[in-house]
Amino acid sequence: MSALLEVDNLNVSMRNGSGRLVPVIENLSFAVAPAQTLALVGESGCGKSMTALALMRLLPEDFVITSGRIVLEGRDVLTLPAKQMRSLRGSAMSMIFQEPMTALNPLFTVGDQIGEVLRWHQGLDRAAARSRAIALLRAVQIPAAEQRIDAYPHQLSGGMRQRVMIAMALAGRPKLLIADEPTTALDVTVQAQIFDLLAELQRSTGTAILLITHDLGAVAELADEMLVLYAGRCIEAGASEAIVTAPRHPYTRGLLNCVPHLAVGGPPQPWVDLGEIPGMVPPLGARGADCAFLARCAQACDVCRAKPQPTLEPIAPGHAVSCWRKTELAA
Amino acid sequence: MTIETSSPMAAPQIDLSAPAAVPPWRLALRQFMKSPSGVAGAGMLLLIILVAVIGPSLYPVDPLDLVGAPFMPPDADAWFGTDYLGRDVLAGLIHGGRATLAVGAVAALITIAIGLVIGAVSGFFGGAIDAIMVKITEFFQILPPLLFAMVLVTLFGPKLTTITLAIGGVSWTSVARLTRAEFLRLRDLDFVKASRAAGASSANLILRVLLPNALPAVIVSATLAIGVAILFEGGLSFLGLGDPNVMSWGLMLGQNRNYILDAWWAVMFPGAAIFLAVLAISLVGDGLNDAINPRLRRRS
Amino acid sequence: MSMAEAIRGTGTREVLLDVNDLVVHFPAGRRHGRPSFVHAVDGVSFRVRRGTTLGIVGESGSGKSTTAQAVMRLVPATSGQIVFGNRDIAGLTGRALREVRRHLQIVFQDPFSALNPRRRAGDQIREPLDLLGIGTRSERDERVRRLLAEVGLPPQAADLYPHQFSGGQRQRLCIARAMAPEPDLIVCDEAVSALDVAIQAQILNLLKRLQRERDLTYIFISHDLGVIQKFCDEVAVMYLGKIVEQAPAAEIFAAPRHPYTWSLIAAAAPPGPMRDELKRRHLVKGDPPSPVDPPPGCRFAQRCPAAIDSCSQRLPVLGAIGPDHYVACHRLAELPCLPFDGC
Repeated sequence: MSALLEVDNLNVSMRNGSGRLVPVIENLSFAVAPAQTLALVGESGCGKSMTALALMRLLPEDFVITSGRIVLEGRDVLTLPAKQMRSLRGSAMSMIFQEPMTALNPLFTVGDQIGEVLRWHQGLDRAAARSRAIALLRAVQIPAAEQRIDAYPHQLSGGMRQRVMIAMALAGRPKLLIADEPTTALDVTVQAQIFDLLAELQRSTGTAILLITHDLGAVAELADEMLVLYAGRCIEAGASEAIVTAPRHPYTRGLLNCVPHLAVGGPPQPWVDLGEIPGMVPPLGARGADCAFLARCAQACDVCRAKPQPTLEPIAPGHAVSCWRKTELAA
Repeated sequence: MTIETSSPMAAPQIDLSAPAAVPPWRLALRQFMKSPSGVAGAGMLLLIILVAVIGPSLYPVDPLDLVGAPFMPPDADAWFGTDYLGRDVLAGLIHGGRATLAVGAVAALITIAIGLVIGAVSGFFGGAIDAIMVKITEFFQILPPLLFAMVLVTLFGPKLTTITLAIGGVSWTSVARLTRAEFLRLRDLDFVKASRAAGASSANLILRVLLPNALPAVIVSATLAIGVAILFEGGLSFLGLGDPNVMSWGLMLGQNRNYILDAWWAVMFPGAAIFLAVLAISLVGDGLNDAINPRLRRRS
Repeated sequence: MSMAEAIRGTGTREVLLDVNDLVVHFPAGRRHGRPSFVHAVDGVSFRVRRGTTLGIVGESGSGKSTTAQAVMRLVPATSGQIVFGNRDIAGLTGRALREVRRHLQIVFQDPFSALNPRRRAGDQIREPLDLLGIGTRSERDERVRRLLAEVGLPPQAADLYPHQFSGGQRQRLCIARAMAPEPDLIVCDEAVSALDVAIQAQILNLLKRLQRERDLTYIFISHDLGVIQKFCDEVAVMYLGKIVEQAPAAEIFAAPRHPYTWSLIAAAAPPGPMRDELKRRHLVKGDPPSPVDPPPGCRFAQRCPAAIDSCSQRLPVLGAIGPDHYVACHRLAELPCLPFDGC
């Protein structure tokens, strides 16, 4: 199957106070197939949200794409004129954000906001837009959609607002939905509902999803493929099940080990210290040519110190790692 | 340079390469020095203060003495001319700066003192105390300040101290409102709760925890209050409510205004002095505002 | 704690904190002409034994943070008893309150707002010592250095300002500050929720080590069931201002009995067929309702899959169903079994 979205060697930099360009994302390449879910995983500061904004060409002022290509359905996103880019946003790809409270306009009803998207992208008239908006609210499982359509955002709970955001994002029938930490601000039981909803909507609409998250464990179910980012570099990529069950990069292993997972039904466990990754992600501007994880890596050896950041190389079919010791550590 | 600890657990690294500890006020000062208009304003203000402080000893002409004929235009004898009584305008500018700046500074201090106390008490305690304080503030706010100050000066006589007290007494409301808003915002932040949990008393919380954090917002309006007070003094004198026994820029302006067509210099020079002083203060205020309250404050 | 004690529960230890029928209501304006109230905490009772950790878990609006802050006397309790040591501290004011506060400390969720941006780190850690007048100036500075070392920060950190630290380092500073007056009880109010997972593990390990070394007692508030299970000895599940189930951690995740606990477990269980089954049968729909003027009856009734008419009329009481295991549910006897609890 040919890819819907192809990102090729993307580099993004930030202009710092003295006007120098500091790399934020380095040599990032990935592809998303139709109706598939790709997860971008990493801690804060690893560049995952910046990747999403680069795709939408919505990077903040000080950030620039220094090289690379972003191709959506055969069209090069980075060279599109601004007007065509606007029509692409919302119709070919759309985005849902972490904070549903601030992402909705508090002055308009839910119906107005969804209807607006429908009128822009599908040229529907007022009445048609309204009935379609109600259908969309039903699709995201909002009870009493006919009444809720006239509600203002502040009258809805956090979970409801995130559902409205999803309905808005789906209004233009996008081929690609970018979900930036869509459940982080929500309660746990609501998180589970939203993940289920996304999976169900993907089945029924065939939308591809780019899921951005810091929670490696939570995406295992939802994502087909996964990219682990560290300090703006992709350090492991592959099928999400393979990565979660057999992580190859020391950082991915560390991420999986440091999260206490709920165990149900078992006998009580005495306390054992959680796995730690010492130190923290190197800040922007402090990232050299050598392996970004070197300073925190318990497995680092002389080879790692002598050589630059290793390239992302396959270790098994559909599973690639950026580590000098990948074969030794896999054994 | 990074320093590692000998602690048994994973040692986090702290970047100590930056100058070890930069107090927030020094960061703000550094930021201020980057603003050309702020630095220019500060330079102007320093110059004006310098002239007012050491000028009188370098140019020891009594500004109230009649040194020559009235309405003498600027010439080699009196560089800035003489006024309607034959007093030296330059002497008035140099000596009068003292009184004007002193009135401005002291009135601003009174403004800030009253405003901080009322705002802090109001914002910290809330409830009924707050309700009463807000009503008092609103009462003062709806009085036209110039008119109210005129009434006070007329009642207690046009002396410099009365004028200063009157100016301070009518212009504190904005500082009070600002302080109250800052206290309300800060009161519920976690670090204030943490200090409370550490056993801090109310006085301790107000003076050592909340006030230092509220000051940046207040400092800018305090700076501008000096300018406002100078304008106020000019305004009162212009309306004939200046202290006739102490030379000030406002008094020069007020006493010579009837003769502006005959002797422009006696009005224009003190007018320009007031303008420059207030301009310098507002430039400093703007620079401080950008330095202390940057719109994009980085979170690390 | 020995393994045997871990299984038996922690019943042999001295009770440090005994909270009785704690109520915290906030005024919420007027509705239909009558004053209405946020029932943030609505009759909560629990005990915490010395050297153990009580976990409080719940969603937004459950009142878990308000409960902890009321115990700390940071929000005023509407009614109820807070017995700390052998003394009811709910009514203390002024000097007596400040005196008792050294024994109760708190670590907040957001390490960015928890530190005063205008004071050096060392001064903030020393603040409780200064306020209590403990030791001489140089003894206090020495203690600050020791505390910094204990939380894994170099002594130079004392001279830095908060903006010079990362989030994880700030949380270490907050922990050092909480430890400074040598408290008996520390409330961790979502203390690791705002941190990246790798940093979260560092902080959890640190807290556990400090507990072992100093016999500290924690009230640990979190919405993350995995962390709660790992970290706590006892667990209380809160929903809309009420405790719906409370039991030792070993018991509550092995044989939970309240439908809301089931729902939380269903949402947090590791992926797999059991989770799918749990989610299908027990994951509740919708969001938690508003805590403003809640309806009579069981707070969970409108979302509960097992609710019958009488549930929304009568309030269930928290009753013992085993040693240290309490549940508040009318339908306890009729509830189905879970795929893992072997009932």
